[in-house]
Amino acid sequence: MDCATLTPDLKPADLHRSPSVVMRLDRMGSAHPTRLSFLRGLLRRVARDGWRFDRPVWDIDATGVGRAVYRAAGPDRTYCLVAFAHDLPDEMRSDRVIATAWDATFTLFDGEPTTADLDRLQANVPLQEAGRISTRELSLSRANRSVRLFDHVVARLASGRQPDLAEVESVGYLMRTTAVYGSGKFGAADRETIADRPELQAPFQAEMLSVWLTRQFTVDIVEHLAAVRGGADAVRLDPAIRRGLGVGNSTGLGMAPFLIRHPVLLHNWMNAREEALARVRAQSAAAPGTVDAFVRALDAARENAALWHSAHPVQVARLSDLRRDLDRLADRVADGRVLSAPYPWDALWRWAERDLSLEGQEALLALMLEPHGALVDDLSDGMSADEAGSFRIDGAMTVARLRAILARHYDWALATDFSDPRNAARFWYVSEEKLEPRLGNRFDEDGAEREQPLCIARLARELEAALAARSGDERLAAFLLDHPEHRYMVRRAQITAGHPFAEVRDNLTAEDMLPIDLMRCKLAFFGASRFDPRSDKWVRISLFQGEPYPSDMTSGDRP
Amino acid sequence: MTIEPNDPTRSGPPLPAGGAASLSQNEIRALCLKAARGAGMDWGIAEEAGSAAAWLSERGLDGPGALLDWLSASDRIPAASRRPEMTSGSWRPSDDGPMCPITLGAALCDFADLPEAALSRGLLRLGPVGRPVLLLPFLSGLGAAQGSAVRIDWPGGTVAVDGRGALSGDAEALRLEPEAVLTIAGFRAEGLDRTACCLRPAVGPDTLRGLDDLAMRTTVPPSEASRAGAGAATSDND
Repeated sequence: MDCATLTPDLKPADLHRSPSVVMRLDRMGSAHPTRLSFLRGLLRRVARDGWRFDRPVWDIDATGVGRAVYRAAGPDRTYCLVAFAHDLPDEMRSDRVIATAWDATFTLFDGEPTTADLDRLQANVPLQEAGRISTRELSLSRANRSVRLFDHVVARLASGRQPDLAEVESVGYLMRTTAVYGSGKFGAADRETIADRPELQAPFQAEMLSVWLTRQFTVDIVEHLAAVRGGADAVRLDPAIRRGLGVGNSTGLGMAPFLIRHPVLLHNWMNAREEALARVRAQSAAAPGTVDAFVRALDAARENAALWHSAHPVQVARLSDLRRDLDRLADRVADGRVLSAPYPWDALWRWAERDLSLEGQEALLALMLEPHGALVDDLSDGMSADEAGSFRIDGAMTVARLRAILARHYDWALATDFSDPRNAARFWYVSEEKLEPRLGNRFDEDGAEREQPLCIARLARELEAALAARSGDERLAAFLLDHPEHRYMVRRAQITAGHPFAEVRDNLTAEDMLPIDLMRCKLAFFGASRFDPRSDKWVRISLFQGEPYPSDMTSGDRP
Repeated sequence: MTIEPNDPTRSGPPLPAGGAASLSQNEIRALCLKAARGAGMDWGIAEEAGSAAAWLSERGLDGPGALLDWLSASDRIPAASRRPEMTSGSWRPSDDGPMCPITLGAALCDFADLPEAALSRGLLRLGPVGRPVLLLPFLSGLGAAQGSAVRIDWPGGTVAVDGRGALSGDAEALRLEPEAVLTIAGFRAEGLDRTACCLRPAVGPDTLRGLDDLAMRTTVPPSEASRAGAGAATSDND
């Protein structure tokens, strides 16, 4: 008997992980960036299509104040990052929305701005939320210096020396963005008006391009200030050190509700990633070169895990799991037989599901996709969503059919006992003073009557209770006339029936719920690394660390 | 300077102070959703209100203004008293006042595949309904579901809308009607002239202020606990 008869043909459709496994908060909170992440897609596209990058305007004075323009010219269109550099006193530096001034502010301009455009933007972009941008702009963002590293790097370069590697590695970026707005925010172009452009079709491409060009700015401005200070003695950053610097990002609770408010989009992201994993598992043998590429990716992941620091107890434990699991993974694949057996990736995956932590499993997912670009990269094309197309409720559906959908996809919600205060402990709300999402304690804070509809588990349970009181043959159109309060949840449940990864299958009002789990999942899809929670609701991450710069692409370097 | 803990990413756009503003469709949808919720609509209906206002705005009609007029006129009146009752060929209010155009529109779309809203069976009489211009996006949806264009007649004029969202006729006259009784009929139409053109008609300062006041009813006033819970646990100045 040969192996082929022992192992029946595996097909991707048989290998999909269930939404009830994938959509749990603790697993989502262990997500790693993959080659399907949005910044990776951007880097592949600009390399493949031969985008050209330059800096037509650099009007920054000796104090580091002024404006600059970074131009990204693609095959069909050109985009420009307009950067304003400011002189910010230390006491005004805050990553929070309360801030009214930043070290630098940015917008991504659609086309090439004239001087009049730059003057208009200069009157608005530095104000951020207090200004207005127009249909010509695709994003609005700002960044603050990592004071410690920024000053250190300027001082060292000015004196003709390179920065201390330990300092560089402990921070990892010169500046961190504190918000990157797109999609019609503050008057910017609506996504619908640009979504048909191939280069912007995938999610968050304008935002990713803006951040990538910002990374170039962060290096240019330290070199500029070092040259001003050091004159002929100053040197430029060593290319290897430069490559290890990303753009930091600091973000809070505001990011968490996004995944709940965009269920079709969430499904499309998750579904693409899960299909990619299934395709790799369905390979009957390791394709030539994939094992070596996997081992290289594993080495890089172990190095990244060693440099990845956090003081948050949850992340400390997860990092410990991750380092241990990556070591075990390295031991396992060191035995050459493991990846030369039939269906080697599936066997490795099954071993990981049995023996590794959630961190280890999700890291392995990213590693398994890495050598399989030709097999999975086309899935990037399906990660955006036409949300308007899923908005309409099917009122002809019967009560019985919707109850069956709830039983299948919301079993986790129907099983939650909300008479237990621990399950209803939190409520999501929007604060009056800053119009930002916050999370309150239901039993000792005011405002629960103004709760945002993120308590999906409870809404699903209440819907089920109302449906149970009606005839199974009744149409939802009639049910909703009597029960408009369930319209929101009926829409979600119908969306989930056709998009099973649309719903986070955990109670978002539970006492022990961690908002950072939602944030990590979303940030991993962006391509963020070095996830570092600063509280249960606030994180810092790094973007583009280790990747090339726009200026590298123009000189022919490829990612 | 006072330090208040706040997250850097916020849920929605702020409003410019004073003066008319050019809002993106995304901003109009978000603001109108919150205003509708603030005025007491259920979340699922408030979503419909936000979408309807943005749909009208995309076609150069003052959807936000019409929505604010309706929300102000019906503020704090129980939604149940503004819901439609159906009898053969007719959708009428269950109470004295005019029907809520958002609730009626959503119900028509819900019944789009059912006999109660079948345009193939002849004219439907709708009304009286408040701010009837707000029905147009829903009637486009009804047309889309039934593969038909929809003709809307009322004593002040005629409007036609198709399932792709194209529009023709006296839409501006309909916008000015505070309340009306309409008849609607399906018809085969080609080439209705006004489609979504990504216009950004200015939203007037009174409309902005009115919608913002309602939207603020969805927010929670600050407390020590709420401030303490947000933001990083450590300094940002590092």
